Amino acid sequence: MIAFRYTKTDGAEYLSHLDLLRHIDRTLRRAGIKVKMSEGFHPHPKIFMNNPLGLGIKSTAEYCTVEADFGGDFKKAFNQNSPNGVKCVGFKIVDENPNYAYTIESCGYTAEVVTPFDTAEYLSREQIIITDKRGRTVDIRPRIYSLEFKDGKLHFTLGCGENNLRPDLLCEILNPLCGEAKNITKIFAQGKYTDLR
Amino acid sequence: MTVNLDDLRELLLSVEKPSRYTGGEYGFPELKASPFDFCICFPDLYEVGMSNLGIKIVAESFLERGYTADFCFTPYTDFGEGIKKLGVPLYSLGLKKPLKEFDMLGFSMQFELSYTNLLYMLDLAEIPLTRKERKSGKYPLIAIGGPCAVNPEPLADFVDIVFVGDGERVDADVAEIYVKCGGATEKFFYEISRLDGVYVPALSNKVKKACVRDLDGEVFPERFAVPNCESVHDRAVIEVMRGCYRGCRFCQAGFIYRPVRPRSIDTLTRQACSLIKNTGYDEVSLNSLSTGDYPDLRGLIKTLKKNLPDGVTLALPSLRVDSFDGEFAQDARRVSLTFAPEAGSQRLRDVINKDVTEEEILKAVQSAFDTGYSAVKLYFMLGLPTETDEDLEGIGKICALIRNCYKSKKRGKQLRISVSCSTFIPKPFTPFQWERQASDEDIKAKQQKLIDGLRGKGVTLNWSDGFTAKLEAVLARGDRRLGEVIRLAYLNGCKFDGWDKELSREGWNKAFESAGISPDEYTREFGEDEVLPWDFIDIGVTKKFLLSERHKAYGGKVTGSCLSSCKGCGLQKDCPVAHRGIDCTR
Repeated sequence: MIAFRYTKTDGAEYLSHLDLLRHIDRTLRRAGIKVKMSEGFHPHPKIFMNNPLGLGIKSTAEYCTVEADFGGDFKKAFNQNSPNGVKCVGFKIVDENPNYAYTIESCGYTAEVVTPFDTAEYLSREQIIITDKRGRTVDIRPRIYSLEFKDGKLHFTLGCGENNLRPDLLCEILNPLCGEAKNITKIFAQGKYTDLR
Repeated sequence: MTVNLDDLRELLLSVEKPSRYTGGEYGFPELKASPFDFCICFPDLYEVGMSNLGIKIVAESFLERGYTADFCFTPYTDFGEGIKKLGVPLYSLGLKKPLKEFDMLGFSMQFELSYTNLLYMLDLAEIPLTRKERKSGKYPLIAIGGPCAVNPEPLADFVDIVFVGDGERVDADVAEIYVKCGGATEKFFYEISRLDGVYVPALSNKVKKACVRDLDGEVFPERFAVPNCESVHDRAVIEVMRGCYRGCRFCQAGFIYRPVRPRSIDTLTRQACSLIKNTGYDEVSLNSLSTGDYPDLRGLIKTLKKNLPDGVTLALPSLRVDSFDGEFAQDARRVSLTFAPEAGSQRLRDVINKDVTEEEILKAVQSAFDTGYSAVKLYFMLGLPTETDEDLEGIGKICALIRNCYKSKKRGKQLRISVSCSTFIPKPFTPFQWERQASDEDIKAKQQKLIDGLRGKGVTLNWSDGFTAKLEAVLARGDRRLGEVIRLAYLNGCKFDGWDKELSREGWNKAFESAGISPDEYTREFGEDEVLPWDFIDIGVTKKFLLSERHKAYGGKVTGSCLSSCKGCGLQKDCPVAHRGIDCTR
């Protein structure tokens, strides 16, 4: 099994999750990497991705596992055959499926904003209640793990999986404080198997 | 100047399928500065255009000569309105360069209901719509090609160049002459107007269609750009042959793509293998107007299967009932099969020279059912010349016979039959080019008859909209005066006319009214001695032949396939089949 980290940038941030899956499948095919198929009436390739990234959010930290035997330089083979912006940055041959969709606990992001604000004050709030699209009130404070300014950018870490918070949603909520956020980019994911080079 | 996607972020996030507009496809040719920048424009959505083989061949012919060939598709209205509001001109997918900065834009006109989309794209590109308005500034040459170019007169006001016929060579030849002349000079237009396949509306020159003799030696892309979001035919495509031997009298493609030119098994196998390798697709479609007529289809399939990687399936669209063989279809893993009897009775099938008998239809469905198919889709046409109620009743009869055929054995699934009825459109360069089109009321009555006749028979019936069919006929048979109607219709908001939910009947009706032109002028019967708007184009098939075919139609006489004997359509000199027979084992 091959676990790898890849990017979704340079226009690829507008690919839907389903299209992205199709492109990874085809990239592997073109690279001559034979992915095992599931059994059953409608066999599908055994490709396991992390949770879908919101449309328009860039990322240098997407994770995926494929069930395949491949002895060569996976990164090179993948990158020669992948679309713009979908590029492998690290990989590892693993025995056990890291199951990224379940094991990634939090993700780190950066965003460019118009004006800085007091992030410490923001984090000191006990509750941050918002109303979601379905009209329910949610406290998002427990889902924000960190928030700070560094190198002129807003850096933040948010919960993933059960404790999920969308980065673009947080930026929307912060808009009155810092103006419109641009270039929201996922830069790392934290979990048991995310250290790939 | 290039367009930066980050500046369009908010818009991209607000529209349907933003990856239509971002480029970056795997396999998209790497473009660099060149002496001639060409952009292929497709007057339909990304997922439709990305499935088109013709534009890929034309693009390859430019790349081969060291020119740029970029692409642009019609943005859906959400994105189109969006860039207009932002003041961003329509840009190409690869270079992200505004269309107005190219040397030439080539629009691939596949059907008449995309005419207003051509204007929509020019408008979004900030290019004046008419040739006259463009005179005063530096704009790209506007060219059109594709099947609609055989009667270009309705678009003559908007375009500088019309490419008639095969696009493998002449399009790029024009680019070469442009570079040599140092731009769109008078000399340039004069020189290109002397080429086969080039019509310059400003010069009103006579033109003979461009025709390549041997497809094996011609340019063909080794790789396709794999679309970002699923396209309508998301698979590798090879063109097994161009043209059709059959000569069905309503079918424009059957006449304008003559003579039939098959590719050799060697060439096709090589092309299929490199496409599969370079795209990562798992299906190859064997395209042509009638793939069952390929001289050695069995041999081709055998060789393809031997050489393609395991798990790659073959798709055989466009099989005629008389060439259907259960064996061919087994690979496709499909449950539904499509046949096109076109007419319900033998008499009417003879009139249109369909050359298919009821027995053959039943034999084909039997063979399909025996290999596991449980659904049949049948295509028919309404409003064909000489059609009577009896012919309509024939449609119901065929459905009943097919049902009996299915019931003759015990089968696991329930049979599904669906019937699609389109409206007959008399098209230029067919034996029916002189025919009148049935009126909207006539068609409605026929449809109703059909609905009543098929009720309770377990048949799903689809039919096409009468207004759309009429518009298509008018635009197909139009002359230069129609340009004003098209322009006004666009200004009235008409675009994506082929889509039911986008079509604005009011916009078109108002346009005809303001221009003082009645659409009925173009759907009437044309006199046999009348000069037709497309007569100045030499398509290879003679008017005399078309006329004799028309008269044979009225006599209910079948002409049959070119394979049985040469029928003398006018292309005998260029036709590889006419006298020598064919051999694709070269």
